[in-house]
Amino acid sequence: MVKINLKLLKKRAQDEIKRAGDLKLLNEVFKKYLGKKGELTLVLRSLEKLPKAKRVKVGKEANEIKNFLRVQFDQKAAAIKEKAKKEAEEKEWIDITQPGKKPATGHLHPLTQVRRKTEEVFQGLGFTVTEGPEVENEWYNFDALNIPKDHPARDLWDTFYLKGGLLLRTHTTPVDVRYMEKNNPPLRIITIGRCFRHEATDASHESNFYQLDGLMVGKDISVANFKAIIQEFFQRFFGKPVEIRMRPSFFPFTEPSFEVDMTCLVCKGKGCSACQKTGWMEMMGAGMMHPNVFKNSGLSPKNWQGWAFGMGFDRLAMMKYKINDIRLLYSGDLRFLKQF
Amino acid sequence: MVFSYNWLKDYVKNLPKPEKLAELLNLYAFEVEEVKRASGDYVLDIDVLPNRAPDCFSHIGIAREVAAITGATFRVPTPEIKEDKDIKTKDLVSVEVKNKQACPRYTAKAVTNVKVGSSPKWLKDRLKVCGLRPINNVVDVANYVMLETGQPLHAFDGEKIEEKKIIVRFAKKNEKIVTLDEEKYDLDENILVITDTRSPVAIAGIKGGKLPEIDSKTKTVILESANFNPRIIRRGSQRLKLKTDASWRFEHGIDPNLTETAIDRAVFLVQKLARGKAAKGLVDIYPQKVLPKRVKLDFDYLERLLGIRIPVWRIKDTLKKLGFKLMDFRNRSVTVEVPTFRRDLSIPEDLIEEIGRIYGYEKIKATLPTVSLIPSKENFNIFWEEATKNILKEAGFTEVYNYSFINEKDKRIFSGKELVEVENPLSAEQKYLRPSLIPNLLKDIQKNQRYFSSIRIFELGKIFRKKESRQLTGVMTGEAFYQLKGIIDLLFHKLGISDIWYDEYKPTPEESKLVIWHPQKCAEIKVGQEEVGFLGEISQKIIDSFDIEKKVVVFDIDFEKLQELSLEETIYQPVSRYPAAVRDLAMLVPRGTKVVTVLNKINAAGGKLIRDIDLFDVYEGEELPEGKKNLAFHIIYQAEDRTLKSEEIDQMHQKIIKTLEKDPAWQIRR
Repeated sequence: MVKINLKLLKKRAQDEIKRAGDLKLLNEVFKKYLGKKGELTLVLRSLEKLPKAKRVKVGKEANEIKNFLRVQFDQKAAAIKEKAKKEAEEKEWIDITQPGKKPATGHLHPLTQVRRKTEEVFQGLGFTVTEGPEVENEWYNFDALNIPKDHPARDLWDTFYLKGGLLLRTHTTPVDVRYMEKNNPPLRIITIGRCFRHEATDASHESNFYQLDGLMVGKDISVANFKAIIQEFFQRFFGKPVEIRMRPSFFPFTEPSFEVDMTCLVCKGKGCSACQKTGWMEMMGAGMMHPNVFKNSGLSPKNWQGWAFGMGFDRLAMMKYKINDIRLLYSGDLRFLKQF
Repeated sequence: MVFSYNWLKDYVKNLPKPEKLAELLNLYAFEVEEVKRASGDYVLDIDVLPNRAPDCFSHIGIAREVAAITGATFRVPTPEIKEDKDIKTKDLVSVEVKNKQACPRYTAKAVTNVKVGSSPKWLKDRLKVCGLRPINNVVDVANYVMLETGQPLHAFDGEKIEEKKIIVRFAKKNEKIVTLDEEKYDLDENILVITDTRSPVAIAGIKGGKLPEIDSKTKTVILESANFNPRIIRRGSQRLKLKTDASWRFEHGIDPNLTETAIDRAVFLVQKLARGKAAKGLVDIYPQKVLPKRVKLDFDYLERLLGIRIPVWRIKDTLKKLGFKLMDFRNRSVTVEVPTFRRDLSIPEDLIEEIGRIYGYEKIKATLPTVSLIPSKENFNIFWEEATKNILKEAGFTEVYNYSFINEKDKRIFSGKELVEVENPLSAEQKYLRPSLIPNLLKDIQKNQRYFSSIRIFELGKIFRKKESRQLTGVMTGEAFYQLKGIIDLLFHKLGISDIWYDEYKPTPEESKLVIWHPQKCAEIKVGQEEVGFLGEISQKIIDSFDIEKKVVVFDIDFEKLQELSLEETIYQPVSRYPAAVRDLAMLVPRGTKVVTVLNKINAAGGKLIRDIDLFDVYEGEELPEGKKNLAFHIIYQAEDRTLKSEEIDQMHQKIIKTLEKDPAWQIRR
């Protein structure tokens, strides 16, 4: 009798578990069989009244059914939960084409970003980043750089003068002299700083602008070295293979002096409207430091030689971001600045 | 400067085609701006480098350069003058140079019986191609020879020169001259003039005077070919605001040995084109003859500087083609005699440039230097600038770069005595260097307010007062005092500065006239006892004068001080393993009560076990008694060594409440 009951009980319980559609119903089924007063619980409790042989046999079977049902309950419960989650998720549809919500972050000025990149490249090549004052005197801005007073060479730098005799530096090259006065070669430095030119503004000229200046001095630092370092800089900066070429030029503080061109980035040297069909873009002025500048910086030109270069830094940013008007950089126009 | 292609062809054999010529010049000498067709000729606009003006502001100079580049033969015609034995130049003109330094050489020669008329077509064409207007055959010859040789010449009507005497001297005060183009100039002691015994007849090296002008009746021509001090001509030209083809050349310096060659060429052409008889002899005042310089060139140094080995025969060849003489030739060096027309060359590096460029910089191979591994030094100024910019960017601020100048109107809001004034501003916008970043930031807000409902911008840049220094200024629109204060707290915290506090601003009577700040809504930012900046709302008056529609709150920090206080290290504070408990406290206080006063009392009463106090609400409203505000705090209790018992916390909280209630005006809400 007990035996039949157990088998039937197992079957019934299995069927009811299967039919239970939600956790509440399942819980009732559980109570019915395995709860305190559940059918199977009662069977197990009544075991002690049975003779030993039977007790062992029935007990074993009842326990097996109990374990079996527990597993069944657990599985069913998991299945119900799983299904419920799925159904809930299905109801939670969202429109993924609806615009996202952006956090209100700020923006760094393009010149700051280009400056970081430039400094990173040069620091990787062992260059120290230096600075100097924006208000300069005639000595550092001109005389020390071998640009005498009343000389037409000064016309190359249109200058803002200040009341009291000082001036606004027209280039960052004075920093080279200031640095050489205080540091012995060998040395490698770059300077990125604000400069001023007394000229009318247009899309490519500004009264204040930034210049990148570099200097490398040693026992045998040559033009060939200059070519290699600058090529390396442009390649790393623009992330493209480029070549450079040098043409004769004149700067009072370098001898020889060059104009430095780089392969046009737009046409890769084939010639296009951006490079006036030459395949080259003018990038910077450079040269081997003039012996007089070494002397004016307290170094002996007999012992040291090296190169210096200077370039419009705004232009580097303009090329990188395809900005067509330098004035945008100083406009404070957030429609422009928020793009970076 | 423009040059005629046909003209260059006269001097150089197998001159390359114009486009090719331009390319060669570009790579080996000067940039060519443009090649243009012009009536059977081509015009080359060549950017002659300023140091090469002495020899290359001339067709002969450019031709010599081209010949050195291409290796072609270069030839200049030598003039053959037939002098009339019966007429002597010295009878027709005498010259006195008062200041030899201002005029190192003065050469003059006379031509008589000339027939002034118009020039032949070929001559007119060449002048026109080069941008000069033909006048008559005598004046045109003078101009032609200038374009050819680079030596400016001047022609006087010999009969109009008082007492046939030419004097070179500085002008006297109040002297005047009317020039050939009928312009009147007031002269002074800085301006060198050519005079006769009566009055100035030309501004030396700049422009001729009307008085001794060559006209159709002129019979005797006195040609002047002189050399003037570049600085004096430059100063004179700047003073008179008068730049001419002659002054331009003189101020760049010219070889004094050129005057004779040029005058011979001019006499020859005047004879040829205006007939006339060349008077015998030359008046030539040349006290100190300029001789060629000698420069020793060391081949090893050349190699070391350029970083390339150039065969010695190429070096010699290049130097010779440029017209230099080689002497004292040794194994690894040579002494070079530089002709006087190359005034730009005086040191070995100058010669190395000549050899390098003609040999071709493209032949120099890029070679990375072999150097000691000296690591680059960290620049702390830039490190802290970048760190600061990053923090502000994360806080939602956009960086701007404004001009370093302010205008007269902006000046009003600053005390004038510290301002740095620009001597030669281009416009009224550049009258002063900015003593503060605020005015230009306010202008940015004005420009952007149409497009953005709320604006947060900052600038980190130089300001100029007695000294140049870095300033960090940020602006934010709206009722944003506390937001901005929070941002400053965040900034200082991230820069490792802990003891920041805000002090009430007590303006001196003088300062209080400068109404830039809202008198009630501003504070000094202090670290320890040092003031590092200012935080406040801009006064309505200023806001209105900048046409700004919203309120603007500004922080203005001395970046030099900020950097000084910043610390890179952050020290880790262990997190307590024991739970924290929060109790709230709300109180009614008079409106004028400062939160910091309440906080101090809570902290003093609570002691070490208070980990944090968070003011989560400040309320003033109709439901509250007149003149009162409600402050609500979360007080967070936590011990580092144990779990606090509930009774312990309650006890502490009661102690705080009791302390606060000692002030009869403060009422704890239960």
